[in-house]
Amino acid sequence: MDKSDKPKVLIVDDEKGLRVGTKRLLELEGYKVDAAENGTEGIALGTKTEYDLAIIDLKMPDIDGIEVLKEIINVYPNTICFIATAYASYETAIESTKIGAYSYIPKPFLPDELLFQLKKGYNRRLLLVESEKWRSERETRLLEVAFEKTRLNTIINSITDGVLVVNKAGEAVLFNPSALKYLQLDVIRIEENIIDKLHPEIALLITKILEDENSNQKSYSAQVDVLTNYELFIEATSSPVPHPDGTLAGVVVVIKNITELKKIEHLKSQFVSMVSHELKAPIAAVYGYLKLFTDGTVKISDEQRQNFIMRSQLRLDSLLKMVNDLLDISRIEMKAVHREIREINLQVVLEGIIELFQLKLKDKDLTVTASYAVKCPSIKADNDEITRLFTNIVSNAIKYNKVGGEINITVKNLDSYNIVEIKDSGIGMRQEEKEKLFQEFFRAKNEYTKNISGTGLGLSIVKRIADSYAGKIEVESEYNNGTLFRVYLPC
Amino acid sequence: MQKIAIIDDDPDILDASNLVLTSKGYEVIMASNPNDGYKIVKENNPDLIILDVMMNEPDDGFFLAQKLRKENINTPILMYTSVSKSIGMDFGINEMVPVNDFVEKPISPEQLIAKVEKLLRIKVEE
Repeated sequence: MDKSDKPKVLIVDDEKGLRVGTKRLLELEGYKVDAAENGTEGIALGTKTEYDLAIIDLKMPDIDGIEVLKEIINVYPNTICFIATAYASYETAIESTKIGAYSYIPKPFLPDELLFQLKKGYNRRLLLVESEKWRSERETRLLEVAFEKTRLNTIINSITDGVLVVNKAGEAVLFNPSALKYLQLDVIRIEENIIDKLHPEIALLITKILEDENSNQKSYSAQVDVLTNYELFIEATSSPVPHPDGTLAGVVVVIKNITELKKIEHLKSQFVSMVSHELKAPIAAVYGYLKLFTDGTVKISDEQRQNFIMRSQLRLDSLLKMVNDLLDISRIEMKAVHREIREINLQVVLEGIIELFQLKLKDKDLTVTASYAVKCPSIKADNDEITRLFTNIVSNAIKYNKVGGEINITVKNLDSYNIVEIKDSGIGMRQEEKEKLFQEFFRAKNEYTKNISGTGLGLSIVKRIADSYAGKIEVESEYNNGTLFRVYLPC
Repeated sequence: MQKIAIIDDDPDILDASNLVLTSKGYEVIMASNPNDGYKIVKENNPDLIILDVMMNEPDDGFFLAQKLRKENINTPILMYTSVSKSIGMDFGINEMVPVNDFVEKPISPEQLIAKVEKLLRIKVEE
């Protein structure tokens, strides 16, 4: 309560002289005073506003002072009430204080005595108000705490990371459903000893902290494959939970599901090792030849030398091509910074590609037939990418075709897709080869393909381009009988 | 004349190795895949096998080595490797990797001859 506030006093007395006199006296002393000339008015005022203090005459013509007192403290129990009476007696004093009067003042009263009593009463009032404030604050806080607790539980149960809290004795204190899932436990009972039930590596994270009370700030973490084959990979981090005084209360373990991350990491490292192998093979071959020339331990004829130089050149050509393909792959993966989307007519693209391959088609004596839908489809895409996609497929249809074979191209619409079919009468694929077709660096190896060169990246580029336009690719193939590529591109 | 079998899917590596070894007077037989490799070893009983780790599959070479050992073919094996280390393959020579020595590509003729002579010498001493 603001201390500069003037204490508010209500005087209820039917005696005008006393009422006015007291009012003046108190106002001089810094009180704010209202006065009522009878019981009815007294009740009306005293129950309408909360007064700090009230001086109530006991005997009034209309309503008894005790009644007025009752009514006021019924509404404002913290109003400090004095009963003033000319008929001071022990009984009335007892009665009024029993009902709730703070004290009684015998009439007539001396100013000093009144002021002393009021001051005492006002201090009492301040105490009451203060304690009431505390009580109500405490009640709200308790409510808040209860609410916070349920809310916290709801939050902990909702987070996708696993949370497990263990006390100093190694007993489970708190956990959420994700923790059960990631720890592969059917049930955790509160207060059961949990450490032995945990994966040893996670248990170690907890015991490290429990056994070393001094390292209060340290956290430990570990990556654990809970289920093998990249089914469930987690990262658990344990941190000490301190008491308010800083001593160790327990350990909290947060468990993250990092399976997807690990899968990507694995794919990446596989890809890197495949790339390095593929890049290193031609380097090793060329290096081998160069060493033969320079080493001097082996005698080489001019003819051999010429042959090795030519073969080195071929290896370097294919190495260069591979590096370009890899750059293309990374460009597609980065969602093509330079992509120029415009309306592309598939017929124009395909005819352009066939034109480009005229020489190679002639070399192998291949016949190309093409049929385009009456309303030939056009799509919105980057011309270079779409051209690359079909160039790679047509190039394969030529490379893996037999001399004198055929290539059939069909373009049609189906629902919301444009479909391009490229069919060759070539060497086809075995089932196991078909399955690996789109893997980077995969190249079918059999008696037919021995002398066909390639980077093993062409079709993975095809797939990446199709994927990036939300399209798809189907392959039908029969070993020794030809292959059909069907490309779906959304209209 | 001692006989050496080279099994590698890279024709240039085969030819270069072949040239180096024949110039040193060895008889060389070659195969470019594990199946043919197995055949030439069975048929020709070479004194030394040079085997590439990674052919169709990343560990084809190891499988072939294990297969030969299982059949009690204890011919010394020199393994050609390129990036096996980065794939995390165990380089310790053990039951899973029953070879006698490794040589990392690219290979210099000198190095190849040194390794081959060493293995053949051990074989003779045995």
